[in-house]
Amino acid sequence: MCTLRGGAAVVSFLLGTFPALCQKPKSEAVERGRKLFQSACGFCHGNDATGSRGPDLIRSALVNHDKDGNLIGPVVKNGRVEKDMPAFAYNNSQISDLAAFLHDQTQVALHSASVPRDYPLEKLLTGDASAGKAYFFGAGHCDTCHSPTGDLAGIAKKYTPINLEARFLYPGGTRRMVTVTLPSGQQVSGTLAQMDEFNVALRDGTGWYRSWPRDRVKVEVRDPMEKHLDLLHQYTDANVHDIFAYLETLK
Amino acid sequence: MKLILSVVLSAIALAAQGLDPAALLKPATDTWPTYNGDYSGQRHSPLKQIDSTNVKSLTLAWIFQAHSAAIKSTPLEVNGVLYFTVPDNVWAVDARTGQQIWHYKYTSDGGDHIGHRGVGMYGNWLYFTTPDAHLVSLNAKDGTVRWNIELADVKLGYFSTMAPLVVHNHVIVGISGDVTDVPGFLESIEPETGKVEWRWSSQPKKGEPGSETWPKEGDAIEHGGGMTWMTGTYDPDLNLLYWGTGNPNPVLAGEGRLGDNLYTCSIVALNPDTGKLAWYFQPSPHDVHDWDAVETPVLFDAGFQGTKRKLLAQASRNGYFFVLDRATGKSFLTAPFIESNWASGVDSRGRPIARLDKYPKSDGTLVEPASDGATNWMAPSFDPDSGLFYVIARRVISIFYHTASGKAEGWGGRDRNLWANSVIEAIDYQTGKIRWSHELGDGEVTAGILTTAGHLLFTADNAGNLMALDPETGKTLWHVQAGGHVVSSPMTYELDGKQYLLTAVQDLVLVWKLPGD
Repeated sequence: MCTLRGGAAVVSFLLGTFPALCQKPKSEAVERGRKLFQSACGFCHGNDATGSRGPDLIRSALVNHDKDGNLIGPVVKNGRVEKDMPAFAYNNSQISDLAAFLHDQTQVALHSASVPRDYPLEKLLTGDASAGKAYFFGAGHCDTCHSPTGDLAGIAKKYTPINLEARFLYPGGTRRMVTVTLPSGQQVSGTLAQMDEFNVALRDGTGWYRSWPRDRVKVEVRDPMEKHLDLLHQYTDANVHDIFAYLETLK
Repeated sequence: MKLILSVVLSAIALAAQGLDPAALLKPATDTWPTYNGDYSGQRHSPLKQIDSTNVKSLTLAWIFQAHSAAIKSTPLEVNGVLYFTVPDNVWAVDARTGQQIWHYKYTSDGGDHIGHRGVGMYGNWLYFTTPDAHLVSLNAKDGTVRWNIELADVKLGYFSTMAPLVVHNHVIVGISGDVTDVPGFLESIEPETGKVEWRWSSQPKKGEPGSETWPKEGDAIEHGGGMTWMTGTYDPDLNLLYWGTGNPNPVLAGEGRLGDNLYTCSIVALNPDTGKLAWYFQPSPHDVHDWDAVETPVLFDAGFQGTKRKLLAQASRNGYFFVLDRATGKSFLTAPFIESNWASGVDSRGRPIARLDKYPKSDGTLVEPASDGATNWMAPSFDPDSGLFYVIARRVISIFYHTASGKAEGWGGRDRNLWANSVIEAIDYQTGKIRWSHELGDGEVTAGILTTAGHLLFTADNAGNLMALDPETGKTLWHVQAGGHVVSSPMTYELDGKQYLLTAVQDLVLVWKLPGD
């Protein structure tokens, strides 16, 4: 799950999971390069190398074609007098660290198309927990199915903040229940295995798979997530942040 | 003398074996010579041997197994040969029998292998874009390489997936790459030599018209955006090329690029001989939701409020249906084709007015549709018989996060899909009203649409069913479970007096016909 990109995100969505990258600890070379860059280069190129007085280096063709400082090195050592960039007398190992930092920064940009799995709680925690609680027991009628001391006890410890937010909004992976009424009047119930415009299939109470053409039977589907879907169409962003703040109190 | 001789020879060669670009103006029924079948982008075939009365008896003519990634391309069919692609691969297959004639394998130097739409053809030559942003010209006879040019630097995050469009003696080629803040462009390539004839940039240079829609200070305009990753359309009478452009950069973090950000998320009309901009229309000014306006700009001549007009219609990724005067770019109609919550209305120029509170936020904002879009690259269709515009419409609710701190690069955020459902819709282009809507199931349908003069509409649902619907009513007339999620658009051709329907399902090409010889 640490290498998902745009295309894979669609697949993961179909599978009921979410794109969430983990942030790997940076290598020592990257950290050494960062310190060196920020002290010597940051004033002109920005501490994150995205440009300031000097150009953005993350999108620089030279940086992107560089291998371990082979192109960056000469520029640093010789400077670019015509562009007012001074020369820096760094040794090869320092150049290598600078290159490691710059390549890492380009990777950060490349992989910015995802919400990290460890996305910080404080960024999400902007709501009012008491308003969220009021919604839970009031307008949302969440307590019809859920209890903060029952199924939701400790829910904030069970999921990372970013996943808790997605999960309360619309939990994936829950099977729908279905009752099929045959032409004889006999009814078969079970978990819905598959349904399209033409056929319906279930697993009955004994675990056996059975299917019928839709035009021969009557089908009643019960979706345990129906209420979540109704609310998903109604929530304001304030509701979302308030409910999230409330659920985060359920440690 | 030598030059004259070679011109004469190449004219003969065009007539004898390959595809004369003049034939693209009115394609014969035994060909499907461009990505969309013709320049209009209607994806409507005049073929009617397979019709609403006999479609139930369709039978398999042949199957081709590519043993590859999923086929997203629409095959060309010229002189009884089909040409189709997946990233790094081109096949030539006998359109009568499914026999492979040749297979070309390209070795790309990295790049993005997300998908591939197909090839363009000029004379005896094919034009194939690559994951590492090259354009390869192949000999259509045997798949050998004539030349290979670099379109853009793969190391900067460029790649290409689109099917080139041949107009006159120009090969029009677009580019992809929105994860790395690189500027987009469209190029015209000389078909014999691979020389660049013109390049239209998706963003003006500082000081040029349109540059006022970017911040004066900083380098946002140079990062630009506006990738040209879908095949456009062409009006020979107006001699205008119509092309959609993608999102500005960074994708979800717009604070560093305040303004409309022309010509990103736009439909542009260009002169194919010069690359000069004639007009533009911007479906998503200052986009912060990745709603590329690259969906096919479909061209048709039809009455609009009592007057016959040259129209251009796009069902755009942002959930709005746009009808324009394609001579001027003037808006005739803007109407939502799905429920959405990101716009508060439509301005006097026909552009949706974005709600600032629905921009991505660090604590999350619920937005419909998601970045995947209310529709996307799957082909729409316009049926002149029914007068209806057909589109795969997805309702996708998503929560958008702005995750960047400091100066955003790349995406600067992402949305997380929560729920999706898909339908096929028939839109009345004069009112924007949905004439009928046919349920296709939960999730995001990625199949395209073909309509035919046989009063049929072909598409697929989310459960792997290929389907034929009645274009007037949306009623299902034929279906078959094809065993995979369809990520391609159907096409059709006629050979030896027989109509074939081609559907690609994952890495299989399934070709259908009526029973009998």
